[in-house]
Amino acid sequence: MKNRNTYTWAGLGLLIAGGLTSLSAYFVFHLIWLTALGICMLILSFILIALGKAIPKLSPEVCSLLLETGIDNIATLIEELGIKSKAIYLPSSLASKYPRAFIPLHSNGSRPEITKALPQRLIARYGSKPEDIGLLISTIGSTATGMLESKPGATQDELESALTSLFTGRLGVADSTRVVCQNNHIKIEIHKPRLENGASWSHQCLGGPLAAVVASVAAEAWDKPMTISQEEQVNGKYCVELEVGR
Amino acid sequence: MKLYNRYILTVAIILLLTTVIMIATGQNSLDIYFTVYVIEALVITELYVYINNKARRGLAYVSAILFGGFTIALCLQIIRILA
Repeated sequence: MKNRNTYTWAGLGLLIAGGLTSLSAYFVFHLIWLTALGICMLILSFILIALGKAIPKLSPEVCSLLLETGIDNIATLIEELGIKSKAIYLPSSLASKYPRAFIPLHSNGSRPEITKALPQRLIARYGSKPEDIGLLISTIGSTATGMLESKPGATQDELESALTSLFTGRLGVADSTRVVCQNNHIKIEIHKPRLENGASWSHQCLGGPLAAVVASVAAEAWDKPMTISQEEQVNGKYCVELEVGR
Repeated sequence: MKLYNRYILTVAIILLLTTVIMIATGQNSLDIYFTVYVIEALVITELYVYINNKARRGLAYVSAILFGGFTIALCLQIIRILA
Protein backbone atom coordinates (compact mmCIF):
# COMPACT_ATOMS: atom_id res chain seq x y z
CA MET A 1 0.00 0.00 0.00
CA LYS A 2 2.83 2.38 0.80
CA ASN A 3 4.38 4.75 -1.78
CA ARG A 4 1.64 4.12 -4.33
CA ASN A 5 0.63 7.32 -6.05
CA THR A 6 -2.16 8.09 -8.51
CA TYR A 7 -0.01 7.03 -11.48
CA THR A 8 0.59 3.58 -9.99
CA TRP A 9 -3.08 3.12 -9.06
CA ALA A 10 -4.23 4.22 -12.53
CA GLY A 11 -1.62 1.88 -14.04
CA LEU A 12 -2.78 -1.09 -11.96
CA GLY A 13 -6.42 -0.35 -12.85
CA LEU A 14 -5.60 -0.21 -16.55
CA LEU A 15 -3.48 -3.39 -16.27
CA ILE A 16 -6.43 -5.38 -14.87
CA ALA A 17 -8.97 -3.81 -17.25
CA GLY A 18 -6.66 -4.22 -20.26
CA GLY A 19 -5.80 -7.83 -19.37
CA LEU A 20 -9.46 -8.80 -18.94
CA THR A 21 -10.56 -6.93 -22.10
CA SER A 22 -7.88 -8.37 -24.38
CA LEU A 23 -8.19 -11.95 -23.09
CA SER A 24 -12.00 -12.05 -23.24
CA ALA A 25 -12.07 -10.26 -26.63
CA TYR A 26 -9.53 -12.68 -28.17
CA PHE A 27 -10.64 -16.00 -26.69
CA VAL A 28 -14.37 -15.50 -26.02
CA PHE A 29 -15.73 -12.85 -28.41
CA HIS A 30 -13.09 -13.28 -31.20
CA LEU A 31 -13.01 -9.54 -31.78
CA ILE A 32 -9.63 -8.29 -33.05
CA TRP A 33 -10.39 -4.57 -32.62
CA LEU A 34 -11.43 -5.05 -28.99
CA THR A 35 -8.30 -7.13 -28.35
CA ALA A 36 -6.24 -4.28 -29.85
CA LEU A 37 -7.98 -1.81 -27.54
CA GLY A 38 -7.08 -4.08 -24.59
CA ILE A 39 -3.44 -4.07 -25.74
CA CYS A 40 -3.58 -0.24 -25.86
CA MET A 41 -4.70 -0.25 -22.23
CA LEU A 42 -1.89 -2.66 -21.29
CA ILE A 43 0.76 -0.44 -22.95
CA LEU A 44 -0.61 2.62 -21.12
CA SER A 45 -0.65 0.70 -17.83
CA PHE A 46 3.05 -0.25 -18.21
CA ILE A 47 3.91 3.40 -18.90
CA LEU A 48 1.88 4.64 -15.90
CA ILE A 49 3.48 2.10 -13.53
CA ALA A 50 6.97 3.04 -14.80
CA LEU A 51 6.27 6.77 -14.30
CA GLY A 52 4.69 6.11 -10.89
CA LYS A 53 8.06 4.86 -9.64
CA ALA A 54 9.71 8.16 -10.63
CA ILE A 55 7.32 10.38 -8.66
CA PRO A 56 8.94 11.85 -5.52
CA LYS A 57 7.73 10.36 -2.22
CA LEU A 58 7.28 13.80 -0.63
CA SER A 59 4.04 15.60 -1.43
CA PRO A 60 4.20 19.06 -3.13
CA GLU A 61 2.76 20.57 0.08
CA VAL A 62 5.71 19.29 2.17
CA CYS A 63 8.20 20.52 -0.47
CA SER A 64 6.53 23.95 -0.48
CA LEU A 65 6.68 24.03 3.32
CA LEU A 66 10.43 23.32 3.32
CA LEU A 67 11.10 25.82 0.53
CA GLU A 68 9.12 28.63 2.16
CA THR A 69 10.79 28.06 5.54
CA GLY A 70 14.26 28.22 3.97
CA ILE A 71 13.48 31.33 1.93
CA ASP A 72 11.86 32.99 4.94
CA ASN A 73 14.97 32.46 7.09
CA ILE A 74 17.29 33.91 4.44
CA ALA A 75 14.89 36.85 3.84
CA THR A 76 14.85 37.63 7.59
CA LEU A 77 18.64 37.52 7.76
CA ILE A 78 19.07 39.84 4.76
CA GLU A 79 16.42 42.29 5.98
CA GLU A 80 17.86 42.42 9.50
CA LEU A 81 21.33 43.19 8.14
CA GLY A 82 19.88 45.87 5.84
CA ILE A 83 21.77 44.59 2.80
CA LYS A 84 20.93 46.42 -0.43
CA SER A 85 23.65 45.13 -2.76
CA LYS A 86 22.84 42.52 -5.39
CA ALA A 87 23.97 38.94 -4.88
CA ILE A 88 26.79 37.49 -6.95
CA TYR A 89 26.14 33.92 -8.01
CA LEU A 90 29.37 32.01 -7.79
CA PRO A 91 30.28 28.74 -9.56
CA SER A 92 31.36 25.74 -7.47
CA SER A 93 35.02 26.49 -8.26
CA LEU A 94 34.74 29.79 -6.35
CA ALA A 95 32.29 28.74 -3.65
CA SER A 96 33.52 25.34 -2.41
CA LYS A 97 31.65 22.18 -3.47
CA TYR A 98 28.54 23.69 -5.11
CA PRO A 99 27.41 27.02 -6.59
CA ARG A 100 26.29 29.60 -4.05
CA ALA A 101 25.27 33.23 -3.82
CA PHE A 102 27.61 35.78 -2.29
CA ILE A 103 26.17 39.01 -0.89
CA PRO A 104 28.75 41.69 -0.12
CA LEU A 105 27.98 43.46 3.17
CA HIS A 106 29.54 46.72 2.04
CA SER A 107 29.01 48.00 -1.45
CA ASN A 108 30.44 51.16 -3.01
CA GLY A 109 28.65 50.68 -6.31
CA SER A 110 31.29 48.50 -7.94
CA ARG A 111 31.06 44.74 -7.96
CA PRO A 112 33.70 42.97 -5.86
CA GLU A 113 36.12 40.79 -7.78
CA ILE A 114 36.30 37.25 -6.45
CA THR A 115 39.31 35.45 -7.87
CA LYS A 116 39.88 32.59 -5.43
CA ALA A 117 37.58 30.04 -3.83
CA LEU A 118 35.79 31.40 -0.76
CA PRO A 119 35.79 29.36 2.46
CA GLN A 120 32.68 27.29 3.15
CA ARG A 121 31.31 29.64 5.81
CA LEU A 122 28.29 31.90 6.19
CA ILE A 123 30.44 35.01 6.64
CA ALA A 124 33.26 34.91 4.13
CA ARG A 125 36.10 37.29 3.41
CA TYR A 126 37.05 37.88 -0.24
CA GLY A 127 39.74 40.55 0.03
CA SER A 128 42.37 41.98 2.36
CA LYS A 129 40.47 45.14 3.37
CA PRO A 130 38.29 45.06 6.52
CA GLU A 131 35.13 45.79 4.48
CA ASP A 132 35.79 42.96 2.02
CA ILE A 133 33.32 40.68 3.70
CA GLY A 134 29.99 39.17 2.76
CA LEU A 135 27.46 36.40 3.21
CA LEU A 136 27.92 33.14 1.34
CA ILE A 137 24.56 31.44 1.19
CA SER A 138 22.92 28.53 -0.59
CA THR A 139 19.91 29.31 -2.76
CA ILE A 140 17.48 27.02 -4.53
CA GLY A 141 19.76 27.43 -7.54
CA SER A 142 22.57 25.70 -5.58
CA THR A 143 20.43 22.59 -5.11
CA ALA A 144 18.85 22.75 -8.56
CA THR A 145 22.28 22.72 -10.24
CA GLY A 146 22.94 19.35 -8.59
CA MET A 147 19.89 17.95 -10.38
CA LEU A 148 21.53 18.41 -13.77
CA GLU A 149 22.82 15.23 -15.40
CA SER A 150 26.10 16.92 -16.33
CA LYS A 151 27.69 20.33 -16.11
CA PRO A 152 26.56 22.39 -19.13
CA GLY A 153 29.16 23.98 -21.40
CA ALA A 154 29.60 27.73 -21.79
CA THR A 155 27.49 28.02 -24.92
CA GLN A 156 24.04 29.43 -25.62
CA ASP A 157 22.64 26.06 -26.80
CA GLU A 158 24.00 24.03 -23.90
CA LEU A 159 22.68 26.49 -21.31
CA GLU A 160 19.27 26.54 -23.03
CA SER A 161 19.15 22.73 -23.09
CA ALA A 162 20.20 22.48 -19.42
CA LEU A 163 17.61 25.05 -18.29
CA THR A 164 14.79 23.46 -20.34
CA SER A 165 15.70 20.04 -18.99
CA LEU A 166 15.66 21.41 -15.44
CA PHE A 167 12.54 23.61 -15.60
CA THR A 168 10.45 21.37 -17.85
CA GLY A 169 11.69 17.87 -17.11
CA ARG A 170 12.86 17.87 -13.49
CA LEU A 171 11.01 20.71 -11.77
CA GLY A 172 7.94 21.13 -14.03
CA VAL A 173 7.80 24.87 -13.36
CA ALA A 174 7.89 26.20 -16.94
CA ASP A 175 7.19 25.13 -20.51
CA SER A 176 10.46 26.08 -22.22
CA THR A 177 13.41 28.46 -22.11
CA ARG A 178 15.29 30.56 -24.64
CA VAL A 179 18.81 31.88 -24.16
CA VAL A 180 20.50 34.73 -26.02
CA CYS A 181 24.13 35.67 -25.29
CA GLN A 182 25.36 39.20 -26.05
CA ASN A 183 28.92 40.13 -25.07
CA ASN A 184 29.00 39.83 -21.28
CA HIS A 185 25.22 39.66 -20.93
CA ILE A 186 22.98 36.59 -21.08
CA LYS A 187 19.25 37.03 -21.67
CA ILE A 188 16.97 34.16 -20.66
CA GLU A 189 13.27 33.90 -21.46
CA ILE A 190 11.28 31.39 -19.44
CA HIS A 191 7.96 30.59 -21.10
CA LYS A 192 4.83 30.03 -19.01
CA PRO A 193 6.46 30.05 -15.56
CA ARG A 194 4.44 28.50 -12.74
CA LEU A 195 6.47 29.79 -9.81
CA GLU A 196 5.52 33.13 -8.36
CA ASN A 197 8.03 35.80 -7.39
CA GLY A 198 7.75 37.69 -4.15
CA ALA A 199 8.41 41.39 -3.86
CA SER A 200 10.34 41.33 -0.58
CA TRP A 201 13.67 42.93 0.16
CA SER A 202 15.48 39.60 -0.17
CA HIS A 203 14.08 39.12 -3.68
CA GLN A 204 15.57 42.45 -4.73
CA CYS A 205 18.90 41.24 -3.38
CA LEU A 206 18.86 37.57 -4.47
CA GLY A 207 16.35 37.71 -7.33
CA GLY A 208 13.29 35.49 -7.68
CA PRO A 209 13.51 31.69 -7.34
CA LEU A 210 13.61 31.12 -11.12
CA ALA A 211 16.22 33.85 -11.59
CA ALA A 212 18.31 32.28 -8.80
CA VAL A 213 18.24 28.90 -10.57
CA VAL A 214 19.11 30.50 -13.91
CA ALA A 215 22.01 32.48 -12.39
CA SER A 216 23.43 29.43 -10.57
CA VAL A 217 23.27 27.21 -13.67
CA ALA A 218 24.80 29.94 -15.86
CA ALA A 219 27.57 30.58 -13.30
CA GLU A 220 28.38 26.87 -13.27
CA ALA A 221 28.29 26.66 -17.08
CA TRP A 222 30.54 29.70 -17.66
CA ASP A 223 32.56 29.01 -14.50
CA LYS A 224 32.34 32.73 -13.77
CA PRO A 225 30.41 34.84 -11.24
CA MET A 226 27.00 36.06 -12.44
CA THR A 227 24.76 38.90 -11.31
CA ILE A 228 21.08 39.27 -12.02
CA SER A 229 20.94 42.69 -13.70
CA GLN A 230 17.25 42.59 -14.64
CA GLU A 231 14.20 40.40 -14.22
CA GLU A 232 10.62 40.99 -15.28
CA GLN A 233 7.45 39.10 -16.10
CA VAL A 234 5.73 40.07 -19.37
CA ASN A 235 2.97 38.31 -21.35
CA GLY A 236 3.42 34.91 -19.73
CA LYS A 237 7.19 35.12 -20.10
CA TYR A 238 9.70 35.59 -17.34
CA CYS A 239 12.76 37.44 -18.62
CA VAL A 240 16.06 37.37 -16.75
CA GLU A 241 19.19 39.24 -17.75
CA LEU A 242 22.51 38.15 -16.29
CA GLU A 243 25.77 39.99 -16.24
CA VAL A 244 28.85 37.81 -16.57
CA GLY A 245 31.60 38.72 -14.16
CA ARG A 246 35.35 38.50 -14.70
CA MET B 1 4.46 16.09 -13.24
CA LYS B 2 2.99 18.22 -16.01
CA LEU B 3 5.43 16.69 -18.50
CA TYR B 4 4.42 13.17 -17.39
CA ASN B 5 0.73 14.01 -17.85
CA ARG B 6 1.39 15.46 -21.30
CA TYR B 7 3.41 12.37 -22.27
CA ILE B 8 0.70 9.96 -21.07
CA LEU B 9 -2.02 11.97 -22.84
CA THR B 10 0.00 12.00 -26.08
CA VAL B 11 0.50 8.22 -25.98
CA ALA B 12 -3.17 7.59 -25.11
CA ILE B 13 -4.52 9.90 -27.85
CA ILE B 14 -2.16 8.54 -30.54
CA LEU B 15 -2.90 4.89 -29.67
CA LEU B 16 -6.66 5.45 -29.62
CA LEU B 17 -6.59 7.43 -32.89
CA THR B 18 -4.56 4.63 -34.50
CA THR B 19 -7.11 2.07 -33.30
CA VAL B 20 -10.00 4.10 -34.76
CA ILE B 21 -8.18 4.62 -38.09
CA MET B 22 -7.22 0.93 -38.35
CA ILE B 23 -10.76 -0.21 -37.53
CA ALA B 24 -12.09 2.22 -40.17
CA THR B 25 -9.68 0.82 -42.78
CA GLY B 26 -10.86 -2.72 -41.96
CA GLN B 27 -7.60 -3.97 -40.48
CA ASN B 28 -8.07 -7.43 -39.02
CA SER B 29 -4.56 -8.55 -38.06
CA LEU B 30 -3.58 -8.30 -34.42
CA ASP B 31 0.14 -8.39 -35.37
CA ILE B 32 -0.21 -5.18 -37.37
CA TYR B 33 -2.12 -3.44 -34.57
CA PHE B 34 0.57 -4.43 -32.06
CA THR B 35 3.48 -3.50 -34.35
CA VAL B 36 2.03 -0.02 -35.00
CA TYR B 37 1.38 0.53 -31.26
CA VAL B 38 4.94 -0.48 -30.34
CA ILE B 39 6.51 1.78 -32.97
CA GLU B 40 4.34 4.74 -31.90
CA ALA B 41 5.04 4.24 -28.20
CA LEU B 42 8.81 4.02 -28.83
CA VAL B 43 8.85 7.11 -31.07
CA ILE B 44 6.82 9.23 -28.60
CA THR B 45 9.08 8.13 -25.71
CA GLU B 46 12.16 9.17 -27.70
CA LEU B 47 10.58 12.54 -28.54
CA TYR B 48 10.13 13.39 -24.85
CA VAL B 49 13.83 14.01 -24.27
CA TYR B 50 13.33 16.12 -21.12
CA ILE B 51 11.80 13.33 -19.02
CA ASN B 52 14.11 12.84 -16.04
CA ASN B 53 16.59 9.98 -15.68
CA LYS B 54 14.62 7.95 -13.13
CA ALA B 55 11.47 7.96 -15.27
CA ARG B 56 13.54 7.29 -18.38
CA ARG B 57 15.02 4.16 -16.76
CA GLY B 58 11.49 2.90 -16.03
CA LEU B 59 10.38 3.69 -19.57
CA ALA B 60 13.45 1.83 -20.92
CA TYR B 61 12.08 -1.36 -19.28
CA VAL B 62 8.66 -0.71 -20.87
CA SER B 63 10.36 -0.21 -24.25
CA ALA B 64 12.27 -3.49 -23.74
CA ILE B 65 9.02 -5.36 -22.98
CA LEU B 66 7.30 -3.84 -26.03
CA PHE B 67 10.30 -4.59 -28.24
CA GLY B 68 10.31 -8.19 -26.92
CA GLY B 69 6.63 -8.52 -27.88
CA PHE B 70 7.36 -7.03 -31.29
CA THR B 71 10.23 -9.52 -31.84
CA ILE B 72 7.99 -12.48 -30.88
CA ALA B 73 5.27 -11.26 -33.27
CA LEU B 74 7.87 -10.88 -36.03
CA CYS B 75 9.33 -14.37 -35.41
CA LEU B 76 5.86 -15.96 -35.48
CA GLN B 77 5.12 -14.20 -38.77
CA ILE B 78 8.44 -15.41 -40.30
CA ILE B 79 7.76 -19.01 -39.15
CA ARG B 80 4.24 -18.79 -40.66
CA ILE B 81 5.67 -17.58 -44.00
CA LEU B 82 8.40 -20.26 -44.08
CA ALA B 83 6.08 -23.13 -43.08
